[in-house]
Amino acid sequence: MSEKPPSTPTIGRRKWTELTIWVVVIVILSLLPLFIKSPYHLHIINMTFIYIIATVSFRAIAISGQFPLAHGAFMGIGAYLAGMASKWLGWPPSLTIPLAALASAGIGMLIGYPFARLRALYYALGTLFFGIAVTTFIVAFPHWTGGSTGLTGIEPLFATASKVTYFYFFLGLTVFSLAILYRFEFSRIGTSLKAIAQSHMVASSVGINEGWYRILAVGVGCFFVGLAGAAYTHYNMVLSYYTFNFMATLWIVMYALIGGIGSFAGPIIGTAILVLIPEFFRDLKMYSPYISAGILIIVVYLMPQGLVSLPRLIRSWYTKRRKGERIAHAS
Amino acid sequence: MLIASSMYILVALGLAFIFNMLGILNLAHGVIYMVAGYITYMLAVKLGISSWVALVMSTAIMALFGVFIEKFCFRPFVGNFNAAVTICIAITVVLQTTANILIGTSIVAIPAFMSGVFKAGPLSIFYDRIVTFVVGGILVGVIMWFVHSTKAGQQMQAIAQNREAAYLQGINVHWVSGLACALGCGLAAVSGSLMGALMNLGPFSGDYMMVKALILVILGGLGSFGGVVIAGLVFGSLGAFLPVVMEPLIAEAVTVGVVVVLLLFRPQGFFGYEVEV
Repeated sequence: MSEKPPSTPTIGRRKWTELTIWVVVIVILSLLPLFIKSPYHLHIINMTFIYIIATVSFRAIAISGQFPLAHGAFMGIGAYLAGMASKWLGWPPSLTIPLAALASAGIGMLIGYPFARLRALYYALGTLFFGIAVTTFIVAFPHWTGGSTGLTGIEPLFATASKVTYFYFFLGLTVFSLAILYRFEFSRIGTSLKAIAQSHMVASSVGINEGWYRILAVGVGCFFVGLAGAAYTHYNMVLSYYTFNFMATLWIVMYALIGGIGSFAGPIIGTAILVLIPEFFRDLKMYSPYISAGILIIVVYLMPQGLVSLPRLIRSWYTKRRKGERIAHAS
Repeated sequence: MLIASSMYILVALGLAFIFNMLGILNLAHGVIYMVAGYITYMLAVKLGISSWVALVMSTAIMALFGVFIEKFCFRPFVGNFNAAVTICIAITVVLQTTANILIGTSIVAIPAFMSGVFKAGPLSIFYDRIVTFVVGGILVGVIMWFVHSTKAGQQMQAIAQNREAAYLQGINVHWVSGLACALGCGLAAVSGSLMGALMNLGPFSGDYMMVKALILVILGGLGSFGGVVIAGLVFGSLGAFLPVVMEPLIAEAVTVGVVVVLLLFRPQGFFGYEVEV
């Protein structure tokens, strides 16, 4: 009787648990509009969806070790291209959104090519200035872009003004984007990117073409953030360059860092918390940014790995206390 | 043109101090500039103190704030880029909100440091511009002398070049870093107050200044002080001459574009030390 090697149910079980969690979350989210009627609240949730896509796509680039401090600007590129195509060329949203996303990816890869030679800090600084350059260019050509007064008169995505329709659209878009980004990260490509992040020399020595993979990561990341930007354009119907300036990029980075840049769910949680919690404190009006700053400060001092590490931290704190009690009893 | 240059250089030098000592890019520098300007405004207008005294007082306040920031906010995060960015944003948000609450979002102007117009033949320049330029120039000179000739300044250079070796040499890195932070914030404060008198001061002035200072620090070189001054002069001139040839907005875009291209070819700036990554 031959022994069959024991199967390893643990991996499969964990994957099924994760999948169940995602399905449950999506089901709960789809039922939300039944409970939340206020258009303002739905608007906030829609914006959260948009920023979740932007933040997770930021992470998609970050796993390759690059810190693109121009991500808000790429959202702006996608947004403005979609807006301008809609306004000046009269293209329908079903055309502008995917094309704007592709254009954003294309520009990202074009820029990524010379920037790929920069490492770590220099890459961050270079992209930082590229982001500033983008906003400066947007303001510099007001005839096309509306300059500092903004771009108006863009065709909406859906004829209805109901936020519920947009809610389901953004839910679907987010699930779609997250699914692709998840598969991207946990594929051979994603593993190669993480290898490059850990040690580009070792990665090159096993035959990973560092430049090519880094540009690919930038392309994928920029595609999705451009998608988010273009969807935002047709949702908001008005564009202002303030939405995509340096501070916007920094906030996207914050969402990712606070949530925890080490895990896939991190940016999602970070975005949700940093967008939704200050909304609860909206009654404080002028004082509400203190709440956001408070969250930043608490997380950066107490949870360096981000909010996703909270369960782990609580567990380790708890076991430390129990061990402490045991030692006290033993002596 | 030279006036603006000297102010940008002041702020950029402040940023350079903090970055060279601690390796932390102080993203909150622009807010410090703005807050100092607002403090000077409040002291000068609400309390009726002379502008000069208000300037000195607000500089002292911001310098103390700089020491506070160094000890509590920067020192725990040296070397941790992510955390440093986070804490800088937190500081920015807190300061901006506080300013917003106390003063509101209106644009204010600090009363001039010296009023009147200076006439010399065909030239007539406002006194306050001259004063700003002179103060700025003197400060830049003093700072450069400080960095090169005093013991503390040389210690700062040592820390910038190799932090661990500086520890080994017996340099009290924490004390010197605190001093550098104080100096950095103080410089931003002086510039904020002077510019607040020259041009209006609004809640977004800090952002604009931050960008300019960042450009100067990065192009001048990470780790160098003299490079910042030279970069400041170069870009001040660029900023002054380009708008004559083309539209001002496009000139700005071109300037930033030039910066990006330069960064691609010489990421460590003109005079910087190569940072190990």
